[in-house]
Amino acid sequence: MHARNPTPCVETLNITKIYSQGSHEVRALDDLSLSIHPGEFTAICGPSGSGKTTLLNLMGALDKPTSGRVLIDGQELGELGRRELSRIRRDRIGFVFQAYNLIPVLTAFENAEMVLRLQGTDPHKRREQVLQILSDVGLEGLGDRRPDQLSGGQQQRVAIARAIASNPAVVLADEPTANVDSENADRLLEIMEKLNRDRGETFIFSTHDPRVLERARRIIRIVDGRVDDDRTVS
Amino acid sequence: MEVFKMAWRNLWRSRRRSLTTIVAMTFALLVMLLLSGLIEGMLRTLEQDIVELEVGDIQIFADDYRKKPSIHTRILDPESVLVPLDAAGFSASARLLAFGLAASDESSAGASFRGVDVERDARVSRVHREVGEGSWLDENDPKGVVIGKGLARSLSVGLSDEILVLSQAADDTMAYELYRVRGILHSVGGAVDRSGIFMTQPSFRELMVLPEGAHQIIVRRPQGADLLVAHEQVASLASPLEVKTWKMIFPTLSSYLASARSMMSILYLIIYSAVGILLLNSMLMAVFERIQEFGVLKAIGVGPFGVMGLVLMETAIQTGISVACATLLSLPILFFLSTTGINIAALASVEIMGASFNPIWRALFTPGIFVVPILLLVVIVVLAVLYPALKAAWIQPVAAMEHH
Repeated sequence: MHARNPTPCVETLNITKIYSQGSHEVRALDDLSLSIHPGEFTAICGPSGSGKTTLLNLMGALDKPTSGRVLIDGQELGELGRRELSRIRRDRIGFVFQAYNLIPVLTAFENAEMVLRLQGTDPHKRREQVLQILSDVGLEGLGDRRPDQLSGGQQQRVAIARAIASNPAVVLADEPTANVDSENADRLLEIMEKLNRDRGETFIFSTHDPRVLERARRIIRIVDGRVDDDRTVS
Repeated sequence: MEVFKMAWRNLWRSRRRSLTTIVAMTFALLVMLLLSGLIEGMLRTLEQDIVELEVGDIQIFADDYRKKPSIHTRILDPESVLVPLDAAGFSASARLLAFGLAASDESSAGASFRGVDVERDARVSRVHREVGEGSWLDENDPKGVVIGKGLARSLSVGLSDEILVLSQAADDTMAYELYRVRGILHSVGGAVDRSGIFMTQPSFRELMVLPEGAHQIIVRRPQGADLLVAHEQVASLASPLEVKTWKMIFPTLSSYLASARSMMSILYLIIYSAVGILLLNSMLMAVFERIQEFGVLKAIGVGPFGVMGLVLMETAIQTGISVACATLLSLPILFFLSTTGINIAALASVEIMGASFNPIWRALFTPGIFVVPILLLVVIVVLAVLYPALKAAWIQPVAAMEHH
C-alpha cells in the first residue's frame, strides 16, 4: 500500500443533487462531502437508490451537482466547459461500467488503446503500453477479438484495461462485478487489487458485492444521499 | 481515434440499412446525372440549332422591316455595317428576302426567297451543311437553287428539275424566272421546309431588280462573348438600324428554354428531398440505436466534435460510395447518349415553336454536367445529417448511458 498523499485526487464539497421526477423532486445526494486520496482502494456501498451511482457520476464529470463543488486533482469541475470536461474525463478519470460498455466495432486492443489515441500518444509507445496492460489484466493473445467474441469477464477486463491505459488520477468502477460470475468477479478484483498495489492506481467502487467490500481498504456507506459511515479497514 | 475506421465498421453493423441508403442515393444521383445531361444536351442543341441554322445570334434590319416586311424596306448600305462588324470580331452576312410563288409542272406553292452571299453566309449559318440531296449554292451556277424538303414534296420536284418562281420585283414589275433545283435541304425548320428557296445574291438581285441594299444581316458573336454584351456592341455599330438578339426574335422559345431549366431545378428539389428524408431517417435510426455508445464515447473523453465527426464521417462514406457508383454507372450511359443519342423523330415532332431541331437527342457529356447534381446531393446530405449529428454531439453522457 502506498503512503497517503496529502492532496486528494477526488474531493466533493457539500454536494447536493436533486432530480426532478414529474412534479416532485428527488434528493439523490444531500450535502455530501468526502475526499479520496491517491492510491486508495475505496468501496462506496449502500442500499439501492442511496445515491452511489449519482456520486460516481459527479466524481467522473459525467454530471453536475445541483449545489456544491467537485474537484479532481484540485481542479474544480464546475468552472469547466464541455470541452475541458471531456479532456478531464479523457486524461484524469478511468471508468469501468457494470455493463462493460465497450465499443462493439473495436477489438479489445483498440478499445484499450482508444484513450491513448485520443491523447495523441506516439503509436509505438501506445502499442507497447496497451500490450503490457492487456497482459496485466490477463488478456494476452486476445487483443484482436471484438467484444462479442469475449466472455463477460473478459469484456470487463478490457474495460479495466481501457480505464487504466492513460494512467488516470482515479478509476471509477460502478458495480464492476455485478454482471459476472463469482469466479470472474474474484479474478477481476484480484486484477484491480494488483493494479492498485503495483501501479498505485486509485479505485473507487460503487457496489453491493460483499467480495468487493472484503477487499476494500476504505468503505464509505451512503444512506439517503448522506455519508452514514466512513471507515478504513486495516 | 481513427474516425474513418470506426465509421466504416459502424456502417456495416446495419448492413441492410446502409446498403439501402447507398442504393437510394446512387439511384437518385444517377437519375439526376442522366436527366441533367439529357436536358442540358437538348437545350444546348436546340439553342445551337436555332442560332446556327437560320437565325444567328443577332439580326439587323432596316427600321420597320420586322413589323411590315417589304422588298422596299432595306438596309441601304449593308457594307457600312458589315465592315465594322468584321473589324470587331463578329461574323456577319447580309441576306435578301422576298415572297412569291414557286411552280413546277405538277403544282405550285407559296415561297420565300433568300438571296445569300455564299461565302459570307457559310460563316454565320450551318444551312449549307444541311443539304440532304444534291449540293449547296454556287456563285458560278446562277440558275441553281436550293429548296426546302417540304416545298420539294409539294412541288413534286427532285434534283435537276426546273421550277418557275414568280414575285413582284422592286420596280413593281412582274419578276419570273426558271431555276434548276441543285439541292434539297434536310429538315431545318418549318418555314424553310415548307417554302424556302435559297439562291445566290446576284441571282436574287437580277430576279427582283434590286441592285443594292439588303433586308437582313445575320450576325454571329465571337466564341464565348455574352449575348447581351454582343447585342449592345452590334447595336452601337449598326445604329440607327434595328438590332435584335435571337431571344428577342423568339421570346416564347427563349422563355421555354428558361422554364425547361427551372423544371430541372424542381426535379432536383423533388428527388433530392426524398433522398434527404431517407437519409435523415436512416441516420436518426443509426444515432438513436447507439445513444448508449455515444454516451460511453463521451464518458471516456471524446468531445462533442469528435462524436459529431463520427456521424458525419459515416454519412460522408455513404455519400462518397454513392457518388462514385452513380458517376461510374453514368459514364458509359452518358457516353452512349452523347455519341449515339436517341432518335426521337418517331416519337415526337422535331419542331418547337417554329424552330426545328435535330431529331437525334444527344446528352451533354462534360465535367460541368456532374458538378451541380453532385454538389446539390452533398448539400442535401449535410442538411439531412446535421440534426442527428448535433443530437449525438450534444448528448449528456449520463442520460445517454441510461438510455434504453
